Amino acid sequence: MTESEPAEGPREVRLKDLRPGEGPVEFVARIVTCDRREVNRKSDGSRRALLSGLLSDGTATVRFTWWDPPREGVERGLVIRAVGPEVGEYRGRTEVTFSWKSRVGLASAVELPPVDPAEVPELKVQDLKPPAEGFRVYARVARIAERTVSVGEERRVVYDGLVADETGVIALSAWTDFHLRVGETLEITGGYLRAFRGITQLVLDERATVRRVDRPDLPDPAALLNAPPVSMARLEESGGGPTASVEGLVVGLLPPSGLVYRCPECRRSLQGGNCRVHGQVEGVADLRARIVLDDGTGAVTINAGRNETERLWGVTLEEVLARLPERPDPAVWEGELLETLLGRRLRVRGAASRDDFGVTIQPESIDTTDIDLEATAERLANRIGGGRA
Amino acid sequence: MTFREPAWRVVARELESSLEEERGTGERAAAYVLSPFGARMNRVLLAGSLSPPEPIGRDASQPFWRSRLSDPTGAVAVTAGSFQPRAMTQLRSSNTARSAIVVGKVHLYKGRDGTSYLSVRAEALRTVGEGEERAVLADAVGQTLDRLDLIERLSQSPPVPAETLASEGVPAPWIAAARESIRRYPAADRAQFRQELRAAVRRVSGVALPGDTSEPPPTVQIRREPPPPTRPAPSAAERAEESLLLEFLDQVAEASLDAYADRRELLARVGSRGLGPDRAEEVLTRLEDEGVVEEPIVGKLRRA
Repeated sequence: MTESEPAEGPREVRLKDLRPGEGPVEFVARIVTCDRREVNRKSDGSRRALLSGLLSDGTATVRFTWWDPPREGVERGLVIRAVGPEVGEYRGRTEVTFSWKSRVGLASAVELPPVDPAEVPELKVQDLKPPAEGFRVYARVARIAERTVSVGEERRVVYDGLVADETGVIALSAWTDFHLRVGETLEITGGYLRAFRGITQLVLDERATVRRVDRPDLPDPAALLNAPPVSMARLEESGGGPTASVEGLVVGLLPPSGLVYRCPECRRSLQGGNCRVHGQVEGVADLRARIVLDDGTGAVTINAGRNETERLWGVTLEEVLARLPERPDPAVWEGELLETLLGRRLRVRGAASRDDFGVTIQPESIDTTDIDLEATAERLANRIGGGRA
Repeated sequence: MTFREPAWRVVARELESSLEEERGTGERAAAYVLSPFGARMNRVLLAGSLSPPEPIGRDASQPFWRSRLSDPTGAVAVTAGSFQPRAMTQLRSSNTARSAIVVGKVHLYKGRDGTSYLSVRAEALRTVGEGEERAVLADAVGQTLDRLDLIERLSQSPPVPAETLASEGVPAPWIAAARESIRRYPAADRAQFRQELRAAVRRVSGVALPGDTSEPPPTVQIRREPPPPTRPAPSAAERAEESLLLEFLDQVAEASLDAYADRRELLARVGSRGLGPDRAEEVLTRLEDEGVVEEPIVGKLRRA
């Protein structure tokens, strides 16, 4: 018998220090993403359950594979403590596997190690894409507003806003009051990213650290919010962002536009008097316009609400309802709305998101614009150049 | 991921000069018309003077109308049928020439004798004031110059690298389209076309069209080198029949769920427009022989 080793338990580590082949470890981490699937066992063809996804503790993000996981209850956001996982490596990135040899249990968010800003890499705003985690970012507050939301039974205050650096703007959602003020320059650590309605948000909870720093080099918030329009082709490539600005001509409307009926519970548009969630309901009349705006390089959908629609159309919901008995067909109203809007030059600013059908903007502002024909003609004549003017 | 096709801002002359097309592969693939001046168009936005509409076809239950949209550089046919009810109503709403803007899909019909016939099927159309017409024309000229400049920079040796262009904000689809234009139209006279844009600029600055009261020609045909005829060239009447058949084939296919045109439906439709079943079969057979139309499933037709 050899000399007995001291009965050492697994060493507790941060994910950034995790290396293959360095003895038993344990760590606390949050599940950032997870997918459940089943694989066929080669030996007897039976099915075996498997969870895989990403874990993060604020210092690094690693892939995990969990064989025979609990039947339910494991989901995104959960904090776990893992004792004795297998630590491996794939293409230079550390991975962990939980099998019968490891113990995985629930942990509390307060058990997650505090993160020292100096320990994590700095990212620029343009690189903040889910599921990146374990970063620090320097940004200026361009906008901040408080909002009350219901989380289950509870009412909570959320601080929504925009922060930016020289590479871009990102939406911010703080679940703790960091007393943020417009114009401040911050060092943010311990935040995480999520996509909300197609728009990436930087989420700060009680674990996040916000430090005021002196960074006069960060761009002026007003300049960020009033950036000139970008081409729609570019927006289709990049997928948008919280403060997109575009200019183009109205080339069409998407249904439903014009007079719509909404569910009194959830405000979804009704189809044949039915709400997707609440079934048959007494609809509430509303006006909206799903405007297709095109700048010759691409097209985006602008979801205009009642106020914007009334302003652009010059017709109010009351007027439509008053004339409804003589013109009951909503398609007629939609046709009239299109007739008013087709070819109008609009400048739109708002949060842009992209899905399989293209880019949609939830407008913050819609302005009709005109071009100066004389000046434009002169500029075009100069551009043609060569020969007689 | 199929995004909506952008409405290319072009002047009529560019459409008149477009002889090349590109058919996508796969189901419901979009078709494009390539111009010599850097546009790869499925949809366009045009501004100009719209002539009074004329009905084409005889059956009142299948109305189809055509106007001509002229700008200072040229003219193009604009059509609308019962599949575009709103655009058709707008097209028919006036019997005098008027300023209008048109959003529509570009269709290029190529005859066997080397003729091409381009038309724009209107999706949306609106009568506008002169100011608005001039503003849309200004966009068309501006973007046309952008595309011509792009072609020039890609034709330099060495060409300006794509990364440089992208960093300046040139849309990637424009770069691809410009390269394709250079490839497909090696002999295009782009300098000449650039000068032709002057007429459009004069219009933007408010100069009225000089004596533009004459009726535009009913069709514009552009000839390119005719291929050696292997069989007698079709008569104008035969061409019209082919055109009608293909027009309806596209419409029926567009409206169908599987993107094929049902043979019986197609025959019924052209029948109602005076092309009897025997004659229609003959024309179809000819089109199939020539590889213009194919029938991959019995009774289901599509463009080859």
